[in-house]
Amino acid sequence: MQTKIKTILAIFTLFISVTSCDDYLDLRPQDGIIREEFWKTKEDIQAAVIGIYSSLLNSPPGVADLSMSQYLFMHGELRGDMIAPGPNVTEDQRDIMNSNIMASNDLTSWAIFYRTINYCNTVIDLAPAVLEKDPTLTQVQLNHYLSEALAIRAYLYFTLARTFKDVPLKLTATLTDKDNFQLPVTPQKDVFAQVIKDLKLAEGYAVESYGDIASDKGRITVYSINAMLADVYLWNDNFQEAFDAADKIVKSGKFDLIEASNNIWFNTVFAKGNSIESIFEFQYTKTNLGPFYNFLTFRPQFLASATVSEDVFGVDFENPANKDIRGDRTAFVAGTNEIYKYVGSDNDSRKELQDADTHWFVYRYADVLLLQAEALAELNRGTEALAIIDYVRLKHDAIDQTAESIGTDNKKEVIDYILAERSRELAFEGKRWFDMLRNARRNNYERLDILTDAALLSAPPEQQQSIVTKLKDPNSHYLPINTYELYTNKKLVQNPFYK
Amino acid sequence: MKRLLRLPSLLRFTLVFLIALVFQNCTEQKIKESTDETLNITDFLRDEPEFSMFLEMLEITNYAPFMNTYGTYTLFLPTNEAVKEYLKDAGVSSLKDVPLADLQNIVKLHILNQTINTTDFTDGKIATPSLYGQFLVTGATNKNGTSSTTVNKQSSILKSNVKVGNGVIHVIDKVLRVADKTLAQTIEQDTNLSLFTEALKVTGWYDALNKPIDYTKNDIDSYLTVLAQTNDAFKAAGINNIEELKAKYSHLHNPLDVKDSLNLFVSYRILPKLQYLADIAISPALVTKAPLEVISAKLDKDVILLNEEVFNGVLEKGVAITREKSDVTASNGVLHFAAANFAIKKRLPAPVYFDFCDQNEFRQLTSVFRIPGAAPKTSLAKALFKDVTWDDNDPITYFKDPAKGGTVGFGWHGDCLEINRFRNGNCQNITFTTPVIIKGKYKLWISYRGQDTKVGLVKVFVDGVEMSRQINMLENGNKFSSIEERVLESQGYKRHIEPSSSKMNCRLVGTVDIATTGRHKLTLQSQSSFSAQAWFDVAEFRPVDMDQLYPKFNSGTSGFAPIK
Repeated sequence: MQTKIKTILAIFTLFISVTSCDDYLDLRPQDGIIREEFWKTKEDIQAAVIGIYSSLLNSPPGVADLSMSQYLFMHGELRGDMIAPGPNVTEDQRDIMNSNIMASNDLTSWAIFYRTINYCNTVIDLAPAVLEKDPTLTQVQLNHYLSEALAIRAYLYFTLARTFKDVPLKLTATLTDKDNFQLPVTPQKDVFAQVIKDLKLAEGYAVESYGDIASDKGRITVYSINAMLADVYLWNDNFQEAFDAADKIVKSGKFDLIEASNNIWFNTVFAKGNSIESIFEFQYTKTNLGPFYNFLTFRPQFLASATVSEDVFGVDFENPANKDIRGDRTAFVAGTNEIYKYVGSDNDSRKELQDADTHWFVYRYADVLLLQAEALAELNRGTEALAIIDYVRLKHDAIDQTAESIGTDNKKEVIDYILAERSRELAFEGKRWFDMLRNARRNNYERLDILTDAALLSAPPEQQQSIVTKLKDPNSHYLPINTYELYTNKKLVQNPFYK
Repeated sequence: MKRLLRLPSLLRFTLVFLIALVFQNCTEQKIKESTDETLNITDFLRDEPEFSMFLEMLEITNYAPFMNTYGTYTLFLPTNEAVKEYLKDAGVSSLKDVPLADLQNIVKLHILNQTINTTDFTDGKIATPSLYGQFLVTGATNKNGTSSTTVNKQSSILKSNVKVGNGVIHVIDKVLRVADKTLAQTIEQDTNLSLFTEALKVTGWYDALNKPIDYTKNDIDSYLTVLAQTNDAFKAAGINNIEELKAKYSHLHNPLDVKDSLNLFVSYRILPKLQYLADIAISPALVTKAPLEVISAKLDKDVILLNEEVFNGVLEKGVAITREKSDVTASNGVLHFAAANFAIKKRLPAPVYFDFCDQNEFRQLTSVFRIPGAAPKTSLAKALFKDVTWDDNDPITYFKDPAKGGTVGFGWHGDCLEINRFRNGNCQNITFTTPVIIKGKYKLWISYRGQDTKVGLVKVFVDGVEMSRQINMLENGNKFSSIEERVLESQGYKRHIEPSSSKMNCRLVGTVDIATTGRHKLTLQSQSSFSAQAWFDVAEFRPVDMDQLYPKFNSGTSGFAPIK
């Protein structure tokens, strides 16, 4: 009996010990894929790259912050002179509009930018190794993917440096908790230099076309990279380079301005998007809606400012039918001052909430043309710059009331005209503040008056003097580093203006 | 001992256990009693050696324990460097040598008993006075390309919005100084104002401007504002000395007579109340000490222009205020400089929009007044109000709702004045002092939130004279929603906000002839025993020849709706 029990026990023990070292001791997440199992085929790289674009549209599940396009809208417009607080404006938004900014302001969080930057870094770091594992992946294909990651990362750093001035520059993926998160800031000019370097590299890798319109307008191509390059060169005062980059787009023959016409033009360019005027857009769809309907129409946080109708687009008091097609019922609705660009279906009717899939327009052809005009003006080629402005105005039905006849050799006036035309053409596309700041800061803040004049118009009268005085400090043109970031990263130093 | 050992084992065990317990119990258990480690002001100062001298000031004046109690304070905290500089100015070697009263005043000047963040600063005074009684002025300055926020013009803020348990601290680089000179002394001291000083003296206004304010009473109304003009400004107008001034203006040859034009010339430059430039920039008309006369003020870009107006289609150029020199705080008021000579002007009636909630007492509730998302209702007692009086003793309430939402969020600024029980015995005959109304004929519109039951008729009086129509608070806007606006206007109703809401209604109560330029009394009288709250939004005095519908007010926020 005893031996029998012992035998059974022995067999059982043997059985256990042989089988025991199996899966259930090996802990893997049940709802995700770990790195060792990913990064094996070219499809994995594609999935990761599409994931980058996806993070530009809306935040990943479980993260409850605003979407990237809403941040881009606010960083570009809040401090400009074209929007006014709407009924649902938050205190944080209002404080930024009134240059009353503190580091505790939630809108100064840059988390969303660095999240997507990390996605880009991951692709840049890990994708090249796939070349060895997947024989069907060619170096050319890999380069295409890399160009997308590099360009988006560059654009985000470009936006960060325009918004915060000096920011930490992290160019490697954050893969484990052991990574060093304590990074000091990199000066703005070095960030711009890195952006240019990345974009140049990406340009060499990038495709001209993916073969379908949605990808050509929604993913990075040679042209979107050149649009970014033209923009960042202007910030860096490399005017010839900016002109050349813009010229590559113009010379490609793939883009054009559509003759403005009632309803059709708006519907094609804005409501549907991906038109021949478009270079790079965030591709919202009916199943992945943008934030605009919510914060511009449903619970309006912002309105067009009271001066937009008359001062920006001009009003023909003798003939109301003669109007700038880009103004009333395109950019905004006169009377209620609702911002309309992102919620209209055409000039007369609105989209429904569930259909409000209007894209976010990162670069449009008119934008690039006007950037080129700015480069020309700075290169003292005013006649050519004015020709570009006239071309845009002709195609897009600007009215005579906003036409300016100026001396072509007067650089200041040409630049002012370009700025005014940009404010009409690119109203509420997140460009205004950056346009003003870029031109104001040139030549050691030679044109600070652009910023102070705008503030005089839009500031509340009882705070006007303080706001204008604050704007005389260049550091005040950039947002502070959020308190939370300073708390977690001891190497960061706050912008001295926000003491 | 033996007996002890003989005890049953259970008992022995218990004994050992008890002994063990006794020894164990002697270690004190540490329980964390506080839920919050944030230091209060005094403790915060004790931790920071760079502010030791201000701490010493608190201790000498015996305010240290007081600043460690819970509350909502704002402290402007000078660094040690700043205090040392102050000592050097005062010519003493240590804080103990400064007279105690002086030190107390200085410390009190640095403390407000409301928490004010820098986001609430304007170009003018902080809404809450310092504990000393004097108001502090904020602004901004740019030195060598770096801008910083300033307090009382001289002190720059080095570090702002430091949160402590009982308020907020702003670190400043210079000690704030108590303004100890009166307006008269300040003016006399300035050699550029010698002619103006002489004018003050011959007209007898010098003594009025030399009267100190009693800070122990919260007496904002006895502050004065002076618009002085320099000798150069006089010279530009062809006046070189007091004789020429007298010759030009004094038509009764007795400047001491208040009817004499020279006396009026001076009194026209003296404004009641403490009005910094930021206040002037937002007030369309300024009352003066000259009877029935007002100065109009207008902000053109960044220049404040006095008396610039279009009269009979002709633009009359205004006189600018010299910004850099102005905003000089004196112990009993503030001094500004007008850039040129200006004279009394005939005024035309101009519309006055009087938001019932726009009372100083409500404005001082900085965390509530017109703040979206703040506590919706705040009631204040009768005794607190200066410009509102009523019979019986119920308080009145400031009621703010989210813009275009809730109950009263549809009104102008998204707020209404609430009278909880508008009836005899609770609150009756409520009388408001209006802003300045220029003499002339006006139509008076009163807007309110209508309700279906429990309220009733309200009579309206201006300066005690009953208006021709009553307000029926049972009338909602929705009863007239289909009627065209101009038709509605002819029936004495209108939609006063844009976008309009059926919840609000606006009633023309009659035409009123305002005989004198100045502030007037507007009385509301309930005609029945209201058992629900009454909510009032705006009283509009519109000149009879003005469009009575436009401009409309923005629903939920400030300002006017763009005209469609």
